[in-house]
Amino acid sequence: MILIIILLLPIITGLLLLPLKNPATVRIIALTAAVANLLITLGLIISVPSATYSVNWTHFMGTQFTLGYDGISLIMILLTNLLFPFIILSGFTRSHIKIPVLNFLILFTQSSLLGVFLAQNAFLFYIFWELTLIPVYFILLLWGGENRRAITLKFFIYTLTGSLFLLFGIIYLFTLTPGLHTTDFSAFNQLHIPAHTQNWLFWILFIAFAIKMPVFPFHTWQPSTYTMASKQGVMILAGVMTKMGIYGALRFLFPIVPEGVLYWQNIVIALCLTGVIYASVIAFRQSNIKRLIAFSSMAHISLMAAAMFALNVYSLQGLLFQVISHGVTIVALFYLVHLIQERTGTLELPQMGGLKHVAPGMAILLLMAVLGSIALPMTSGFVGEFLIITGLAKQSLWVALIGGTTMILGAIYMLYAYQRIMLGDSNPAFSKVQDIRVLDYFILIPLIAVIFVLGIYPQPVLDLAEASVNSMQKLLGPAGEVISQLTH
Amino acid sequence: MKEISSAIQLIPLENYIGLSVALFSIGMMGVLFRRNTIAILMCLELMFNSVNLLLTAFSAYHSDPSGQVFVFFIMIVAAAEVAVGLAIVVMMKRNVDSVDINLLNRLKW
Amino acid sequence: MVASIPYITLAWLVPAFPLLGFLITGLAKNRLKNNQAGILASTLVSLSFLISVLLFFTMKSSGQESATLTLFNWISAGDMKIPFAFMIDHLSIIMMLIVTGVGSLIHIYSIGYMHDDERVNTFFAQMNLFTFSMLLLVMGANYLILFIGWEGVGFCSYLLIGFWFKNPDYNYAARKAFVMNRIGDLGFILGIILLFFTFKSVSFTEVFSQAATLQTGAPMITLITLLLLVGAVGKSAQIPLYTWLPDAMAGPTPVSALIHAATMVTAGIYMIARSSILYNLAPITLNIIIVIGLATAILAAIVGLRQNDIKKVLAYSTVSQLGYMFLALGLGAYSAAVFHLTTHAFFKALLFLGAGSIIHAMGGEQDIRKMGGLKKKMPVTFLTFLTATLAISGIPPFSGFFSKDQILTDAFENNPVLYVLALGGALITCFYMFRLLYLVFYGNQRLSTSHPHESPRVMTIPLIILSVLSVFGGFLNIPSLFGGDSGFSEFLHKTIISKITAELDNTTEIGLIIASLILLGLVILLAYRTYVKKAVVPAKDGEKISVFGRIIANKFYLDEIYSAVFEKPFGFLSDFFYNQIETKILDPIIDEIGILTSRLGDLVRKLQQGIMSFYFFAMVAGILLFIIFILIV
Repeated sequence: MILIIILLLPIITGLLLLPLKNPATVRIIALTAAVANLLITLGLIISVPSATYSVNWTHFMGTQFTLGYDGISLIMILLTNLLFPFIILSGFTRSHIKIPVLNFLILFTQSSLLGVFLAQNAFLFYIFWELTLIPVYFILLLWGGENRRAITLKFFIYTLTGSLFLLFGIIYLFTLTPGLHTTDFSAFNQLHIPAHTQNWLFWILFIAFAIKMPVFPFHTWQPSTYTMASKQGVMILAGVMTKMGIYGALRFLFPIVPEGVLYWQNIVIALCLTGVIYASVIAFRQSNIKRLIAFSSMAHISLMAAAMFALNVYSLQGLLFQVISHGVTIVALFYLVHLIQERTGTLELPQMGGLKHVAPGMAILLLMAVLGSIALPMTSGFVGEFLIITGLAKQSLWVALIGGTTMILGAIYMLYAYQRIMLGDSNPAFSKVQDIRVLDYFILIPLIAVIFVLGIYPQPVLDLAEASVNSMQKLLGPAGEVISQLTH
Repeated sequence: MKEISSAIQLIPLENYIGLSVALFSIGMMGVLFRRNTIAILMCLELMFNSVNLLLTAFSAYHSDPSGQVFVFFIMIVAAAEVAVGLAIVVMMKRNVDSVDINLLNRLKW
Repeated sequence: MVASIPYITLAWLVPAFPLLGFLITGLAKNRLKNNQAGILASTLVSLSFLISVLLFFTMKSSGQESATLTLFNWISAGDMKIPFAFMIDHLSIIMMLIVTGVGSLIHIYSIGYMHDDERVNTFFAQMNLFTFSMLLLVMGANYLILFIGWEGVGFCSYLLIGFWFKNPDYNYAARKAFVMNRIGDLGFILGIILLFFTFKSVSFTEVFSQAATLQTGAPMITLITLLLLVGAVGKSAQIPLYTWLPDAMAGPTPVSALIHAATMVTAGIYMIARSSILYNLAPITLNIIIVIGLATAILAAIVGLRQNDIKKVLAYSTVSQLGYMFLALGLGAYSAAVFHLTTHAFFKALLFLGAGSIIHAMGGEQDIRKMGGLKKKMPVTFLTFLTATLAISGIPPFSGFFSKDQILTDAFENNPVLYVLALGGALITCFYMFRLLYLVFYGNQRLSTSHPHESPRVMTIPLIILSVLSVFGGFLNIPSLFGGDSGFSEFLHKTIISKITAELDNTTEIGLIIASLILLGLVILLAYRTYVKKAVVPAKDGEKISVFGRIIANKFYLDEIYSAVFEKPFGFLSDFFYNQIETKILDPIIDEIGILTSRLGDLVRKLQQGIMSFYFFAMVAGILLFIIFILIV
């Protein structure tokens, strides 16, 4: 029952908001719902520690409406519900355009994202997976920036195309299930698929997630979409939606096509590492801050994807920790970038400089978010990336070395951007720029606090994922021993 | 009902099939080769009815009423279709003062 | 918590005080007036120093060698368990005393030096944060805590180098320092990870106890030590990662004294000394360290000859002295390295603070060609600067003599060629230091516009204390040759395991010392003749100098080479990736797939001719084909 509440609370609140007129009321109600959902989630984590818990609601056409969670889903749900209050709060600005619709769409996105993370049935998963696209499409289209039509369309079609492969994969798996066909994950997980089938099925299932994350070379929708998206749009996209790809890959690939994973492991890691270097190098010369951070996000996500395929307990723990850490950091960064844009009216680095003279508070907060991004010790980014690099080193020292270059390249471009924006002689064009206001503090201080608290005391989040990681680890075992047992 | 069934069964099934095929083929040829729109519509009806005949016959031979249920459905659809079709024909007559199907050649890209 | 040393439970206070100072001055920086921040920060660091002293004496009296204080469980994933713990042993207590002792003196000095700066509160907040990180570095009970401090000091150094952030050059220098450190840090963290895989732990006690069972020269140990060495090379500014340190002089002078002379840059030496057991197992790495250390010592000393910025001279001298410490490490004489680290902390901090005092007096002028004749105007600064110069040149009985002599003797034991090279470097050091001294304090005042004056007492008292330490610091470790007991080395031998080398006999050793002293005397005389008697002033910028001199003055063009080899290709690659691969290959491919569908549509819609009969015909034909297909298959 509690899962139904978590799932439906946002969307129902969102529907109730539609007929309201007063923007202030709308925002406060939306925020209350999001905060309430966060509190329920925290309560769930504290009070219901068992790894699986499911509500069986109804049956139709062999598909069950089953909700449930394990440690991995919990981390994703925690991330979603942690970020959405801030995403809604960031809309408390002077803008009054279609506030009820905007908040409805945001809450709609939240519900469908939660549906993705809660679904225990592949078909249900797919429905929610596609459902997220609808509100995000409108958020991008209605509140986006320059050239929004073409970019939104490209984003939509690109991700939709990937999803069609996923749908095909689900239907194929459905036909493989014994007896009365079903699309439950529990049934999928028990399938023994022949190795050669797994090899191609892997890509059918992976491509949707690879596009969503995005993994090189499926990333081309991402920089332009991030750059164009509105504040809340980009926060949703970068903070939570990219994590859908990671979650989906963990849910589908490892339990269902483990041999396919082992078969393609090295190639996928190579792709991911290419993405790491490629995005980091590109980020260095970007003049648009949002595009720069978009590429930096891609580098981090690529590293996480590489960690996923390194398949050991350190990399998986690091990955799940980094899911939260990256989500929080990137949302804080994008918020700050938009703040800078709102105050200065530009996003172009060559026009920046000396902002620290007029906005010292903004400078300090940006620096702290940057530190989280470049994984300085005592920030959450370090814990995640340290575990990830450890996991990669378990795979191969070279892989760890290449993955670890994010530490260097990230420092180069993030500090360059920071210095270009904030430091230097005072800029006459910015003499009237306002520093941080109360609302900004309400958003940024908690987010940055999370970055530092998790950096100093990461254990609660690591514990959350431990059981799931161990079960996954058992499945993939050392050098695939367990898998060969499964297939013979 | 029973009597009708037995009455139908008096004639061998092959005859029904033969008649249906003949009717269907005539209808199809009409659709393909006539230029008068009204004639085409009529030929369409002919095809429907040939199918209906076949369904009824099989229904009687198999003592399964669902065939006859289908027939009713088809009749309803046919009626609706004729209504729309005749309306189109009327509009056509008003606009181009003809019912020649080949005058409707602007339905393209 | 196992308290094997009395008061060990107080150890967490040592880093806690500076952290507290950082939080208070950082959060209340807009409220604190005048010197409040400076006084608060200095007091807190001094308190840390007092606790360190207390721990030192209780440790000595209890006879315990080490103690661990575990605070909480930091990271645990799978079989990886990394506690947040401090370890105090003989090595870390010495480092703590240096960091807090020299640190508090520099903090006090800064009250005077930074008095007029508008961001003085921020300055002290960052200095306290640095002290905190540095204490984490030396007190950490495992490699990962050390790494927190390691990166923390790097970040504070970034902040403080770029303290005057209006100047883009300073910002560039700050970024350069951080990035170069990061290159080393990547090697370091990979080394830590390999350590973990090899020993299933990263805590010092466990790693070292397990390492004792390993074979010398095992490839894994060599790899680990090499990776750790990369970190040390970055942090301690050795070839090839040293170019950031001279640029780091952009920061305020107390920062140069604390971070870029006394503490942070010695972190690499500390780390290698700490890992002495591992390094003893890797002779190849030790040889590489010797080469790096000696090359850096000599190269940096040569560059120091032609520098005209007072702080740049000192910076190259720091790089060179760090090279000597590396040399000692490579020779396996870890305690000699730590001893030189200690004395170097005293005299180099003193030199920088003296330089700060001079710059302060000259109203911000740093060019030694414009100074001169300051001896009378600034007697305290002059005397303290003189003691430091004598100490760094290795004149007995100043502290530098004892520490440097030990390294030279160890080098001779290993290979006389090393000795000759190291001595050559020492002679160059002596020359440029006296060149600096003579140019600044002797002769006539060359810049008539300024009116130099002695610095306030808050600045001179730390100078005096440090000069006392520079003079007498060497007596901590008088070798048996002079009837001493090598107390410092003995104290460290409980923690660091130096390689055992054959002792030189006394006559050879005395012979070496006398020879080196004669040479030093000649060099000082040469410097005196050149810069005082002939009053030679180094060439102005743009004046013609010999080719060789120009190469040295331009630091062997190393910055230009790095820029050409790394920075420019990187920028080019970035543009290439974005402008060519991303926008001309990858993105169009995806777009092309979309365009392809509409092209197909274009093709297919040609069938749509508008002839109704054709449609009917196609429909019927399709149905017929379908039926035939079903009948056949």
